[in-house]
Amino acid sequence: MGEGKILVVGGGISGLTAAVEAAEMDYDVILIDKEPSLGGRVAQLRYYFPKLCPPTCGLEINYRRIKENPRITFYTLAQIKKIEGEPGNYKVTVEISPRYVNENCTCCGECEKVCQGERVDTFNFGLGKTKAIYLPHEHAFPMRYVLDKSALAEGDLERIKEVCKAGAIDPDMQPQTLEFNVGAIIWATGWKPYDATKMDNLCYGKYPNIITNMQMERLAAPNGPTKGKILRPSDNSVPQTIAFVQCAGSRDENHLPYCSYICCLASLKQSLYFAEQNPDGKVYIFYIDIRTPGRYEKFLNRAKEEANIEFIKGKVAKIEPADNDDLVVIAEDTLSGKRVEQRVNMVILATGMQPSLAGENIPVPLERDENGFVIPSEAKGMYSCGCARMPLDVMSSNETATAAALKAIQTLVRG
Amino acid sequence: MARIIEPDLNFVKGVIDAGGDTLKKCYQCATCAVVCPLSTNENPFPRKQMILAQWGMKEQIARDPSIWLCHQCSDCTAYCPRGARPGDVLAAIRSMAIREYAEPKILWSLYNNPAGLIVLFGVALVVVLAAILAANHGMPELEVPVKFSHGLFHGFLPVLYVDAIFLPVAGFAALIAIRGIANMWKQFTTGLDIPEAYKPTTMEMITRYIIPTFKEILDHERFKKCGVNYERFNGHRYLLYAFIVLFVVTNIVFIGADFLGFHTPWPLWNPVKIFANLGAVILIYGSVLLIQNRKAREAEGNLSGSYADWFLLYLILFIGITGLGAEILRILGLRLAYAVYIFHLMCVFVLFLGLPFSKFAHLLYRSTVMVYDRYVTDVRARMETSAPAATVVEEAAAAGEESSEEAAAEEGQQEAQ
Repeated sequence: MGEGKILVVGGGISGLTAAVEAAEMDYDVILIDKEPSLGGRVAQLRYYFPKLCPPTCGLEINYRRIKENPRITFYTLAQIKKIEGEPGNYKVTVEISPRYVNENCTCCGECEKVCQGERVDTFNFGLGKTKAIYLPHEHAFPMRYVLDKSALAEGDLERIKEVCKAGAIDPDMQPQTLEFNVGAIIWATGWKPYDATKMDNLCYGKYPNIITNMQMERLAAPNGPTKGKILRPSDNSVPQTIAFVQCAGSRDENHLPYCSYICCLASLKQSLYFAEQNPDGKVYIFYIDIRTPGRYEKFLNRAKEEANIEFIKGKVAKIEPADNDDLVVIAEDTLSGKRVEQRVNMVILATGMQPSLAGENIPVPLERDENGFVIPSEAKGMYSCGCARMPLDVMSSNETATAAALKAIQTLVRG
Repeated sequence: MARIIEPDLNFVKGVIDAGGDTLKKCYQCATCAVVCPLSTNENPFPRKQMILAQWGMKEQIARDPSIWLCHQCSDCTAYCPRGARPGDVLAAIRSMAIREYAEPKILWSLYNNPAGLIVLFGVALVVVLAAILAANHGMPELEVPVKFSHGLFHGFLPVLYVDAIFLPVAGFAALIAIRGIANMWKQFTTGLDIPEAYKPTTMEMITRYIIPTFKEILDHERFKKCGVNYERFNGHRYLLYAFIVLFVVTNIVFIGADFLGFHTPWPLWNPVKIFANLGAVILIYGSVLLIQNRKAREAEGNLSGSYADWFLLYLILFIGITGLGAEILRILGLRLAYAVYIFHLMCVFVLFLGLPFSKFAHLLYRSTVMVYDRYVTDVRARMETSAPAATVVEEAAAAGEESSEEAAAEEGQQEAQ
């Protein structure tokens, strides 16, 4: 039995798994996340692989394991400021941003009703707005409101304080600096969707009915901006034809040189969402290669059976606007050798995964590859798992999380 | 239909050596064929050409007009997700196509390798010096004021001796060029199966296709569509105009001096002389613009020039500078003029001889393909629209014909794949 604690950075599915696995081996774990709620990207999905479970299914059981296990301490709105020391003896400085809502919050929701100031709904990738005081999402953990002071309208603060019977509003809350001594660190910092505006030929942000695959997840999610109905952003109509643009930024030296692993499956999955809501609808998937790793080839067959999909082998390299806010996607169908111009109601860009730490300046002796993925290092007692390490699906993320927990424990045991 | 691919590995190597070293990176996503401003829905390129070249399918590539429809705008290279640089690869393929039509091939090699530079200029020097020595029965007198010739038979380098060098060279180059164009046309039209009724007469060929093509070339219509490499449009246009002006005045001077007895040099106020000098200035200006543009595009990484590109650009620049330089030095009465004049003639010699061997050959083959493109597009359109539709029976017959045509086209496509 080794001594010392393990720090897990990131509270998505990988971080949660790593934390719980280590804690259930009787090691003390500190889990931090920069967001106001745990859950990470999985919380934003409609369904996740391999069995198309709703996110609550995997997340809630982990939340319960955290609640029941006194060895796990977790912090939200927390970011690392400094790491000093060596394996077995790291001193980590963490800053907790003020939430301006204390633990008295009962989530009655009265504050939200009287608040007038609004902010962009980042959880829904900009598909709508929230009030300045908001619940991160329906399944937030911890279940507590957050206040974005910069978004407050005049008089909001007084109104909010007045209706809050629990006395949970604390506008004078200050940033808090905490210090921890840990023996090993697990990086479960996850991924962010690649910025679709960087592909200028795909016109994201230029026409309203071009969305990303993560926005599609939010449209299909029951707790999303459309309550789970897949509607076009421009007019909230039900699209009859949609096109998926695969490799939007992935396998591209000008953007992400690697395959993001999950986007082909995500588009197949989203074709099922669409077919379920719109059995007569038509899906076009433009691809270079359909990649269904391992046993997921079965999923391709399922999608072919259950959804009306036309596969076109050729990458979309141009999108033009049409009347009625429709779009024309242009690609060369490499099997016929002709260029096709397909008019559709809505376009979904299958944007790839970029490690969250890519482009971030972190004041930490951390080894990263040229794309920003964290390279695990036994010598440093720093490990990575999930999409912080490489693009993965949920199942494989969890496998790497368990492995990382084991490696971290070994670092403590070796002393 | 099973088909055994017989790759011509030497062709692949040739493309790689000629500047297409990124060829094998292509993974056939077809981004290039969509962003290309010159390719069409019916005939997208350069994705197909990339795989044909990768597989060393020389026959199919040489027969493919699309390689010449590419103007190397380099939009494809800018958007290529693999850094396969289709724009540069197609330029290399064109260089290999020039080789196909070149005879003897050794001349192509001399024009497309740095080592050939010494040989070419060496030969040019020997030829020009031999003419000078022969005309003067030994070392010439470098008289001041400078005079390059005293009529047809006398002087430093008499007019007839110049003709004796350049007429055979131009004749040889023209012969190989015509042969190349004829071969190319034959390759394109073999198996095209255009019914007699749609075949144009010579007159129609000229009025419907050749003249409009010349107009298109003069206007540089296709260059205007280019995205990344749009800036090249002006430089290239100036160069073309300069060549046309210089071609015309050279012929006027040839007839005037050789047959009508108007001895050179002609006075500066002579309209022909004025045009000639103007042509020289535009030639220099155009080539400087193109050189600068190419350097800028290379610095941006959107273009990587091969030896053949730079060779032609600098050769043209030197022809302009030495031509104008020799004239100015002659007027100034400096003996250096003789040396510059010799260098000028050497450059012109190398350019003339290189017409069917150097990158200069794009003038021949791209123009031919542009005529062919007009011809085929027009005939196909006419064949489709003039399908008789008077009766149902005829309609059905037409539909049947059309679908069989489609099947044939598809078969051709599969073959290409």
